[in-house]
Amino acid sequence: MNTLNRRDALRLLGLSTLGVAALAACAPDASGGGAPQGDTAAKTFGFTSWSLNEEAQKAAVQAIVDDYAKKNGVTITPTSFPYNEYLNQVTLKLRGNQLTGAIQLDVAWLGAMAAMGKLRDLGPVAGKGGYTDVALASGQVGGKQLGLPWTTGSIGLIANTELLEKAGVDGMPATVEEFEAALRKIAKLDGVVPYAAATKAAQLKDILPWMRTFGSPLLDGEEITVGDEPSVAAVEWYKKLFDAKLIAPDVDRFDARALFAQGKAAFYDDAIIARGVVESQAPDKTLTTKMAPLARPVLKAGDTPQALLWGHVIAVVEGEGADAAAEFASFATSDTATVASFFEKVKLPPTTTAGLADPKVAGDTFTTEWTEKITKTASANPFWRYAGYAQIETAIAEQVQAVLVGDASAKDALAKAAETAKGLQK
Amino acid sequence: MRKLSDGQFAWLLMAPGVALFLAIIAYPLLSALVTGFFEQSLVRPGREFVGLANYADLLGGDFWPVLRNTLVFTLGATVIPFVLGYALALALNAGLPGFLRGLFLFPWVIPGVVVSFLWLWIFNANYGVLNGVLGTQISWLGQPGTAMAAVIITKTWASFPWMMVMLLAGLQTMPKELHEAAAVDGAGAIRRFRSVTVPHMKGIAAIVFLLEFIWNFQHFDTIYVLTGGGPAGATKTFAVAVYDTAFKGFDLGHATALGGLWMLLLLVLMVFYLRKEAK
Repeated sequence: MNTLNRRDALRLLGLSTLGVAALAACAPDASGGGAPQGDTAAKTFGFTSWSLNEEAQKAAVQAIVDDYAKKNGVTITPTSFPYNEYLNQVTLKLRGNQLTGAIQLDVAWLGAMAAMGKLRDLGPVAGKGGYTDVALASGQVGGKQLGLPWTTGSIGLIANTELLEKAGVDGMPATVEEFEAALRKIAKLDGVVPYAAATKAAQLKDILPWMRTFGSPLLDGEEITVGDEPSVAAVEWYKKLFDAKLIAPDVDRFDARALFAQGKAAFYDDAIIARGVVESQAPDKTLTTKMAPLARPVLKAGDTPQALLWGHVIAVVEGEGADAAAEFASFATSDTATVASFFEKVKLPPTTTAGLADPKVAGDTFTTEWTEKITKTASANPFWRYAGYAQIETAIAEQVQAVLVGDASAKDALAKAAETAKGLQK
Repeated sequence: MRKLSDGQFAWLLMAPGVALFLAIIAYPLLSALVTGFFEQSLVRPGREFVGLANYADLLGGDFWPVLRNTLVFTLGATVIPFVLGYALALALNAGLPGFLRGLFLFPWVIPGVVVSFLWLWIFNANYGVLNGVLGTQISWLGQPGTAMAAVIITKTWASFPWMMVMLLAGLQTMPKELHEAAAVDGAGAIRRFRSVTVPHMKGIAAIVFLLEFIWNFQHFDTIYVLTGGGPAGATKTFAVAVYDTAFKGFDLGHATALGGLWMLLLLVLMVFYLRKEAK
């Protein structure tokens, strides 16, 4: 058995070393660079989407993919990851040049993806799509159109009108003072959380629109203003609601939805998809008829209500199949029959003027009310332009949480958050 | 043909394994350690050599609270299940019905993430079982003190069965004659435990304790699911901090530097373990 000669042994060792070298060569470039490769005119491309992983949207998205592939003689390879894992997976694959074609992105992620320098400028395609200005802006980074808007909406306040009536709240509160008064009335109802606001760090970025409501711009030019008087006042107010049990501890978006669906929360923050989510979770099947979107209360009458712009875009990775992928992205986001049918199935509002005017969309009261009361004045999170936006949001959220649990004063905590955030403005 | 010596032949047999080790362990590890000396983002191309700046940043701030949290979690999630596991192992060895062994193993066979979600609902401040039973409205996961306790309780529930089984196996190798002889000499139960059981179990108990300590030092899923490292960073351990820095902040430089420091501490524990194992 041990009769192999030295030469054979060295050969085997050499092969092993080559194996290591080959594996190392296959490993992603440590610096994350590397030019896009492949035939841009290829008729085969990938489509990466988290919606293909979600039961409620899967069939509707797959129908768009199949329809386009059939009509245009192209082959589309779908890939999906769960939403919570999506950004990590897409980032790693894009970094390793393992992702081609079209990719669905949350508008919040576009800045980070743009920093990788691998997305195609879709300006020429966008020009012929008929998108609204707000929608187009949601897909722009650094003056380039890096994503075609698929749905544009906002994250705003939703009320359970039945609970408001029970508590004796007349009409929707329009100012912060009226809102707080309404919460105090609702607090008298047994087992009801007046406002299921985010209190877990994962979702405490929801406080940013309240900081804006109190007058903080969050970012002035390149200067982070978190920690200024208005933002401190907003956090102190939030803490006051927390201490008075008008908002509940240990709540993120999922908890808030569950509480609202059970009829145990009078207000909460969510995107327009809330109606579908609540409909699927609520034991009371009439609850969706009692849901009403409302403009975020303002500090003083005449102020502009604040809401966070939210939406999805389809971006295209430069390289293999990029031309066909760009055409697909345009079709999926701007073909009127397609977007109207998509709205009918999943209730995500389209982004084109023609799509919004389609009777299927325009005739939906909840959507039109949402658009009028919330999306109309919504604006993007100014930190999204930085690749490290998530860490900036986390830094702020963790400090706000420190205030809520009594570990720090609002002033000290936000000063610390701003200091951390400044190091992340890259 | 020249014959290979036994040593050369041994190296030859090891070559594929060594190659794999170099490719999937050593190379990524070295690459990560090198990255700790660079300012490097997960999303921005390129990187810049910054020497020890990442380490200095960490040692000047985030490292110490994370180390404290990691030690608190590791100690709590090792000592409590160890004591519980030891007590149950003694009880089972003393004649507690055998079916209880299978029952006690139940939490251990459930996947860690499932266990974490189960306790997440138990501890939920607004609709959790615990508050329902106690008639309280405590935010178990929303306050620094109770959040760490909740995480430790969850981990204890998941890991005491393994310790119990290992310690029970050790107890069952103990010759009954030793106890009988001690009893004849007039030793009571406590004295027999102290003078017979403890010396016999010292070796296996130390190994079990050390292994659990090392695993807890690296533990991720329970903490991430229950608290995500919050509230206000109160349960942020090395595993969560490295994940957050790399995949939420996209900051590979600081993440790998923190990972390097974490690995150094683990190496110290490994030395203890290997020395214990060698005895």
